[in-house]
Amino acid sequence: MLILLGAIFALHIIGIVLLLVATIDNAWWVTDDIYTDVWGRWIMTNNVWNLTDLPSTYPSNYLQAVQASSVLACIFSILGIFVFLAQLFTLPKGHRFTISGIFQLLACLCIMIAASIYTDRFHLDERNGWYGHCYILAWIAFALTFFSCITYFVLRKKTA
Amino acid sequence: MLTFLALASVVLLGIVPEQSQAIVIYTGWERHALLGSDIRLSCSFFSWRWTSEDVTFSWTYRPDGSRDSISIFHYTGGVAYVDNKGPFRDRLEFVGNPGRRDGSILLKNLEFTDNGTFTCDAKNPPDIVGRPSSVRLLVFEKVPIQAGVITGAIIGVVLGLLVLIVVIYYLMRFLVARRVFSLSVSKHGKKKKEGSQQRQGPVPPADPSKIKV
Repeated sequence: MLILLGAIFALHIIGIVLLLVATIDNAWWVTDDIYTDVWGRWIMTNNVWNLTDLPSTYPSNYLQAVQASSVLACIFSILGIFVFLAQLFTLPKGHRFTISGIFQLLACLCIMIAASIYTDRFHLDERNGWYGHCYILAWIAFALTFFSCITYFVLRKKTA
Repeated sequence: MLTFLALASVVLLGIVPEQSQAIVIYTGWERHALLGSDIRLSCSFFSWRWTSEDVTFSWTYRPDGSRDSISIFHYTGGVAYVDNKGPFRDRLEFVGNPGRRDGSILLKNLEFTDNGTFTCDAKNPPDIVGRPSSVRLLVFEKVPIQAGVITGAIIGVVLGLLVLIVVIYYLMRFLVARRVFSLSVSKHGKKKKEGSQQRQGPVPPADPSKIKV
């Protein structure tokens, strides 16, 4: 029982960590001398990394939508862990952790929205580059939060 | 005594600020406008003195990247003199109210060459010491969305909805609980009355066979 609880908690925490790394760290799109994400761009010139603004050719409204939904995904997941802890102590026996599940579901939806918009609207014509580790982590976080949400919807509280 | 104090304070207020205060001019900091539209550049001032009849307003314009200013508007002696030779010929209009310390001008049909800094200088004799204030005009073909506005708006709205839903949920629970509570109290009260009536009923007819001797 305790192991199951620990595993669920760890899953949620790993989801949060991956979401934070995907939002904050700077590697959604990588080329040989450019690391970029939704906030800024690092360009390597003369062996020195320089932080520059994103090019103005980026569609600005889609960019802000990706920024907003990735931040919201982090917020919902973090709120969800606190709600889960609260529900752990206050939920009557036999009930499901629906509210924690809802928060994780919202986080899952938000990061899916963010990653999908990014895939569909950015770097459509660029051939010399590939998706960086933060982008991949965003999709993995989507999967983890989805499993976490399912777990919360299925699990029932065993002891009072 | 009181009237003396009142008079003294009025006199002091009249004398003291003369040396320490100056006229303060307010314009915007930066204005954004669309190509071909009109824009109103506002200018007002604060002065400790009453608005005099010789109040003057003057606007000068310095194009972006140039070091020379050109005077484009002057109001003095109750008459507004508008640019009739320079870059704003026929495009400038005075829409201010000097009596209310407002020296705003209206620029019509903006062009890209109107990008620059507009400086307003107001004088309210004898209060003439002051710094002119400048407003920067930026003319765009398409008004850009400022960075982060949409992001902040989306995050704010979603979190606000979340808080609203939580509040409504608890409010509903509170109201329902109160209704249930008041209903149960009234039911309890009714039951108590019925119970006491029933008790009085069976007591009087005492069974003579059960009375012990």
